[in-house]
Amino acid sequence: MTSTTDTLGLTQKRKLRQRSILKRLYVPMMLLPASLVFLVLFMGALIMAFLQSLGYAPIYGVNDFPTFRYYREMLEDPAFRVSIGLTFYYALVPTILGTILSIYLALSMRKRFRGRTLFQYIYKLPLMIPYLVGVAVVIELFTQGGIIARLFHAAGFIEVPQDFPRLLKTEAGWGIMTVYLWKQIPFTTLIVYSVLMGLGKEYEEAAGTLGANKRQTFIHVTLPQIMPGIVAATLIVFPFNFGSFEVPYILGADFPNTLPVQAWRVFDDADYTRRLGAMAIVMTISFISGVLLLIYLMLYRRYERIRGRQ
Amino acid sequence: MTITKNQRKKQASSGNRLSPYQRYYLIFIGIAVVVPFVPVIIRAFSFSWFWPSILPTKWWWEARENAWQPLGWDYIFSGPSHVGEAIINTVFIAIVVTIVCTAISLPAARVIAWEKFRGKSAVEFFLLTPLIVADIAIGLGILITFLQLGLTGGYVGIILAHLIPTTPYMVRVLTSVFQGLSRDYEEQARLLGATPLKTLWFITMPMILPGIMAGGLFAFLISTNIFLLTFFVGQGNIVTLPTMLFAKVIGGSSLDTIGAEVALILSLPGLILLIITERFLKEEIFAKGFGG
Repeated sequence: MTSTTDTLGLTQKRKLRQRSILKRLYVPMMLLPASLVFLVLFMGALIMAFLQSLGYAPIYGVNDFPTFRYYREMLEDPAFRVSIGLTFYYALVPTILGTILSIYLALSMRKRFRGRTLFQYIYKLPLMIPYLVGVAVVIELFTQGGIIARLFHAAGFIEVPQDFPRLLKTEAGWGIMTVYLWKQIPFTTLIVYSVLMGLGKEYEEAAGTLGANKRQTFIHVTLPQIMPGIVAATLIVFPFNFGSFEVPYILGADFPNTLPVQAWRVFDDADYTRRLGAMAIVMTISFISGVLLLIYLMLYRRYERIRGRQ
Repeated sequence: MTITKNQRKKQASSGNRLSPYQRYYLIFIGIAVVVPFVPVIIRAFSFSWFWPSILPTKWWWEARENAWQPLGWDYIFSGPSHVGEAIINTVFIAIVVTIVCTAISLPAARVIAWEKFRGKSAVEFFLLTPLIVADIAIGLGILITFLQLGLTGGYVGIILAHLIPTTPYMVRVLTSVFQGLSRDYEEQARLLGATPLKTLWFITMPMILPGIMAGGLFAFLISTNIFLLTFFVGQGNIVTLPTMLFAKVIGGSSLDTIGAEVALILSLPGLILLIITERFLKEEIFAKGFGG
């Protein structure tokens, strides 16, 4: 480089240098705008929440930074333990059940049948609809005076609304998990199905020709191939359920409820100093889902390595 | 591709047919997806609907004529309901979010897809993390800063907040769009003497436009569906369709006519998008965004 630049004129040299600086700055400059959203807004929000959870909140007249008091108080609260169990329960059941149902749906959709084009339109409908509309739908269907209760009445099973089991606003969380399933089965199915379409059927047919039965073909050929899609979908679905607010807030019990609802109730307290406790809860939510995801990804990496794939 | 006609026929007769279970399953899913909307639609056109009647006791159009105030849809489209305001707010915020989000995601997606640089996988990973962090953590965290900066209760704050969940998604979708393209076209244009700007406008843009459309439509949809961030940052000052519906269903015990109507209006963008994307765009673009 130096030997060639010696023979070049001064302006050309400067031009070259400018170009190399431009070249070096090209990638960072292009990444900058999107990174600002990530660094300033997203990380900024998390860091502020974290600092507050450690006692730094001059805006509320509190500053005992650094202290683990708010985490300790949170852990000592018996309600926290109940909440964390419920949060896991409401998040995990729909994720697992939904994934199984989605795999079966994706496999079924691959077959040829009448109305297939129409079906592929329709099944995606809940995916496009906000969660709050899903909540409205569930309320209209499953309350004690809802349409299903009325159908039971018409069939002669029940007399008054109170005879119908209370499905919403209880700890069992039927309504919450129904909304999650209704919204997320199309999402997981879409991803698994598009992976399936990208694969083609050659390997499965080969397995069939070599004498594998349907179940063997599924477990040893199809499932490993769609695994990346399943992992991608569950990576989105589980943390979403774990951190969701409005669905459990509306359809869950008044008490106990999930961690995000708990966080909001603490935050909404008239006593501003309690807001630091809310920050401890939301940091715990983020921390738990982060750790879980890392474990999940590591397990998946290992699974892929065992299968001899990079 | 090289399957003979005979083989294809054989395939169609054996492995390509639905089993009876699968048929029932597909019917069940079809019903479970569509039928739950029916009661909400009926509710939206009802005036009163008492237990144990399966259909409304009095329909909206029956009560409408001798009502002393606007009812149902008449109320929705009247000033006091603020639904018009909510629609305008929702759409306005979504449009601005979509434009800003596309503008900042395009350059990032381009270098992630086409350039090699150190820390690339880390950048890709970190840009996706907002998708897996709970809204409430972001919302509560952002609130303090926005309060201090005076960004609460206004459009700017809400738009900034909406960028957090839309940008990761947009970068991902646009990256896969760029990855699906060859750089050769750009290089050839440059070799033939086109300026970088001309190359961008005449060569790259037309090729990525369908991808931008797909990403933009979904960013629009995500923004129209956001409740919590709008609720926190807007401080009840700016009403959008999701915050309005939240106020309507908050009790969790019943849905009134107006609530059902707001729910239907809020479902419209998704419904329109479903039809558009299915007709004009490849769904793979959407799935690919998530590593499908």
